[in-house]
Amino acid sequence: MRIERSEGILLGIILIYAVAVALVNPAFLSIETVFDLVRTSSRDLILVMGLLLIMLSGGIDISFMAMALVSSYCATAAMMQLGLSSIGFLLIFAMLIGVVMGLFNALLISWLKLPPFIITLGTMNLFHGLMATLVGTRTFGGGMLPPSFNAFGSGNLIELESEYGIIGLSLSVIPVVLVIVLTWFIIYKTMLGRGIVAIGNSEEAALRLGFRPLLLRLFAYGYIGALAGLAGSIYICQVNAVYPDKMIGEELMVVAGAVIGGTSISGGKGRIFGALLGIIIIYLLKSTLIFLGLSASWNNLFVGIILVLSLSFTAWQEKRRNERHLLFKIESR
Amino acid sequence: MQQGAQAALKDGAAKPLLVEAIGITKTFGAFTALDDINLMFKGGEIHCLAGENGSGKSTLVKIIAGTYTQDKGTVVINGRSYKELTPAQSMAEGIQVIYQDLSLFEHMTVAENIALGHLREERSALINWQQVRAIAAAQLERIGVRLDLNQELREASISTKQLVAICRALAMNARVLFMDEPTTALSGREVDRLLEVMSELKKAGLAIIFISHKLDEVFRIADVVTVFRDGRKIGDFPSCDLNAKRLSYYMTGKEISYPKYQRISKAQDNFIEIKDLCKKDMYSHINLGIRPGDILGCIGLLGSGRTELALSLFGLNQPDSGKILIEGRETALKSPSASMEAGIALLPEDRSTEGLFLERSVAVNSSASVIGKLSHGILGFFDFVKERTLALSGIERLNIKTTSERKLAGELSGGNQQKVVISKWLATKPRLFIMDNPTVGIDIGSKAEIYEQAQSLARQDMAVLLLSDEIEELTANCSRIAIFAHGQIVEILDEERLKDPAIGSYIAAVVAAGGKQGTAQDTAAAGTYNPKEGRA
Amino acid sequence: MSKINATPTPINYITGDANLNALLSVFVLTALICALAFGDAMYSGANLQSMAFQIPEFGFVALGMMLAFLVGGIDLSITANACLSGIVAGFILTGSWLPGLDEGMRIAVAVVTALGLSTLMGLFNGLIIACFAVSSLIATLGTMTLYSGIGMALTGGRSVVGFPDSFTAGGIACLGEVPVIFIAFVIVMVLMAILLERTGGGRRLYLFGGNPVAALFSGINNFRMNVATFTAIGFLAGLSGLTIIMRVNSAKVGYGDAYVFQSLIVCVIAGIHPAGGRGKVIGIGITTLLMQMAASAFTILQLSPYTTKLIWGLMLVLVLGLTRDGRRLLNALRAPFIKNKTLTDKDSNPGEADNG
Repeated sequence: MRIERSEGILLGIILIYAVAVALVNPAFLSIETVFDLVRTSSRDLILVMGLLLIMLSGGIDISFMAMALVSSYCATAAMMQLGLSSIGFLLIFAMLIGVVMGLFNALLISWLKLPPFIITLGTMNLFHGLMATLVGTRTFGGGMLPPSFNAFGSGNLIELESEYGIIGLSLSVIPVVLVIVLTWFIIYKTMLGRGIVAIGNSEEAALRLGFRPLLLRLFAYGYIGALAGLAGSIYICQVNAVYPDKMIGEELMVVAGAVIGGTSISGGKGRIFGALLGIIIIYLLKSTLIFLGLSASWNNLFVGIILVLSLSFTAWQEKRRNERHLLFKIESR
Repeated sequence: MQQGAQAALKDGAAKPLLVEAIGITKTFGAFTALDDINLMFKGGEIHCLAGENGSGKSTLVKIIAGTYTQDKGTVVINGRSYKELTPAQSMAEGIQVIYQDLSLFEHMTVAENIALGHLREERSALINWQQVRAIAAAQLERIGVRLDLNQELREASISTKQLVAICRALAMNARVLFMDEPTTALSGREVDRLLEVMSELKKAGLAIIFISHKLDEVFRIADVVTVFRDGRKIGDFPSCDLNAKRLSYYMTGKEISYPKYQRISKAQDNFIEIKDLCKKDMYSHINLGIRPGDILGCIGLLGSGRTELALSLFGLNQPDSGKILIEGRETALKSPSASMEAGIALLPEDRSTEGLFLERSVAVNSSASVIGKLSHGILGFFDFVKERTLALSGIERLNIKTTSERKLAGELSGGNQQKVVISKWLATKPRLFIMDNPTVGIDIGSKAEIYEQAQSLARQDMAVLLLSDEIEELTANCSRIAIFAHGQIVEILDEERLKDPAIGSYIAAVVAAGGKQGTAQDTAAAGTYNPKEGRA
Repeated sequence: MSKINATPTPINYITGDANLNALLSVFVLTALICALAFGDAMYSGANLQSMAFQIPEFGFVALGMMLAFLVGGIDLSITANACLSGIVAGFILTGSWLPGLDEGMRIAVAVVTALGLSTLMGLFNGLIIACFAVSSLIATLGTMTLYSGIGMALTGGRSVVGFPDSFTAGGIACLGEVPVIFIAFVIVMVLMAILLERTGGGRRLYLFGGNPVAALFSGINNFRMNVATFTAIGFLAGLSGLTIIMRVNSAKVGYGDAYVFQSLIVCVIAGIHPAGGRGKVIGIGITTLLMQMAASAFTILQLSPYTTKLIWGLMLVLVLGLTRDGRRLLNALRAPFIKNKTLTDKDSNPGEADNG
């Protein structure tokens, strides 16, 4: 597998960080840390795959957390109403609702032709507001939810004995891997994916080759909608409760992860491996600062530093390229 | 070649008629872009569409490509008549247009760029990377060119991109290939290669239609030239029946010859003196002095360092070593504002993005370089009255055709837009005016006015540095000409030398030979010159 | 672009701009509807005053976001910046930092430090954006995380409380019936309008925002434009931060977080073009008032915060839709009365027809 320079740097950072933490606190070096990382980051690992596809298409979506919340909340509420209890219904309902919201985003972006950041900002509020107004705002606690939720959320694929008791690799790793493989397949093996990359490179040029930006966009935004439904469902199962106001507000962290991983905000460029690394680095910091004797409050500081450094580095390389070619393209957008 | 062209016209019947336009009329509001155009494009023929900007040739291409729909008339392709053509239908009929921007995908590889259109046409759902490479290799084979298939396109040179665009069109089974200004960004050797590729395609039976402003290319390769003027077709001419003068007469409807510039200034001290200026990979050991009243022409192929040097003088390209003396004093030109301070102005090559604020008025554009001078007080209050006066005087001085100083710059014609840029710089009262291809894409009438302006400025003791690809433009306007090659000045021709009537072909030869005078004569005979300096 | 080059007179300042016209009509309409629906509940002195108290802290953020929009960017770090400078001011005010200063000195030092720090943070944003040519959305996403991270590290997520009364008095002080902070906001707004629309620096900013490349080739120092813009945004963030802690009597990471998104909405409604180079300060003024009036109406109606969210989202989408298709809609309505054919955008410019 080819590893890009930015990804190499990220791997380096992760390695150095891991060594540093391990020196301070050897307890860090355990399989439990890895299992825990996988479990807590699964929601965002799934979401970042959708976001990657969106950013490849030259767009951006910040409504995915709202979609994750709204779809999982509505699906749960519907199941309670209908008296359904299977986890399958949750996933199907949530993904369907997610797709509908995603398609709405795509239509709006194609119609308004304004920065998708601003449009999805609007729909983020819209979706959440609609949910609260039409469906309600009560919290479903663990006792009220079907037991299958918790069974899935706390179930393990692999279980190991350790000195601290049983540790396990969460079941959520299955959907994560499936989504990664599916996304890889879409991006690299289908014309659909190449079309999405093409409109991200140059919509005009893609149009001239006969690609249909509207359809491609519908797919990409629908895809992230479906993934949001999936990720939201996994999250509520893991938490074993459904709140009407969780998740929203964490979207920019996922965007940060994608950007740290080298995904270009201007479209057409980005890789699965990088985006995954970006999310992992954020969760690594989040979950391990405690090993360094720092409280979780230091989390953002470290993520911020890494984010600022990595994006400055990437942009600076691009700027030097442009200077060498005497291209006067100034990007402050 | 020319005999071939004649033959081509004679036995034209033997060539398959691929596209025919019958009575095409297209209007935009009150403006008639095309008026009753009848035209035929045949396989195995290279057809040139010539005409000034706005004469309608691009509109015709867009109608045949399905981007625009004609108001009246029919397009017949492969025997099928279309009153209304969609881009998809047009492509399905084998019509491919390579636009000036090439429409390629920067973050994809060469191979994918070539194959993607073909795969899209085939409506494949999955992508097979081996097939992608096979398609790309086959097309490159067809035009006899080798390229690195795995290269990311943004790393590739402009000429590579040009070839990739052609291969992509071929991969999409092009039978009629339109090329809009295909050679604009290419150097002489690259143009040769492109023209070779074009004649190969012609032999293979394709109809090649290219739009070009460069007369020499037209004569070198076209079989038939169709001239447009003001939305009307003036006629189809075999290229052997045309020469530059006649063609420009057909295009403009008037005979134009440019007055020769004579330096009258008495000043002998250089305004600016460049000493041993170097910049890695761009130019090295440049020594040049420009006196007030000089119009110093610069000519050279792509990568000869000409534009790079001009940008250095305007503070946009820091040299690595060497000195720049302005009126004898060493001056650091670290930014455009420092250069402006030193009395230097630059008319950039790309008018629409670099030169103008298209969405702003003529007045705002005219004052953009002197905002500081129009501001007063601690807060820097802007003097709107003075701005208007300034704009009006510019409009009068340069004869800018606009209804008002409030009209948006983007609504003016190319020539008038260029005059607005000139007016913007005259407001700074520059001592050295660098003009980078000031007449590209400008109609011949405005061209003459811009020359006149440059000459009259020089007569008032301004120093002018004129970067150009057109030898005629240089020999008519310049008091000295510097020939650039491989980042160095290979020869400077003084006023005496420029009086030689045959100097034009000499310059062409030196430029084409990349500065090696020994081989210049042979190359001159072959007539291969096409200096073009662009930023890759 | 007549709105910029026309010699402004008081009358054509607003009427000469279609966007402002529309905005003003919406404002008047909303004001009338509010008068009919709520009467005194909306227009009582007390309510007006409380609106005036609430406007500034958000207004400063909106003005900052407007500057970012004008250069074609977005600044996500404004409220993180406001919070951090508020927290630092808070530490000084409570005497945790620099103990031993008397009350008057503490307030002075706190205010100066907060504004200085926020300006520095803005400068930092500007330098990253200008030096490395990072897109501002991404750059400020980074610094937003960084600034709030510093705030979190300093406070551990807790509130900083216990400011001197003479400081918080500023948050409730009135001149006559008008809150002092509101007056300060109006003064800042007027100053900004003058700087942007009547000075050379403002002209440069608009030109740079509209087309940075042409600005570069016109001798405008783009580096300086970027840095100055984001530094000014930092200063406005500092003002917002001070106003917040003055009114809330505490400082904490996360205060006013919703303001970033709301200010984006305000900018769009105010007609500040996201692509840069277009829009007026007065638009922000009117829209901020409009938003506050709506917020007030929501409070009177006792709408839940979720419903408020729904309405904001809906408004953003509607306004975007209307700005895009409003003119076409209007033309369609007018069409039967006008004989001349109305041109569509694409066909109206024959000059471009031949430029490939």
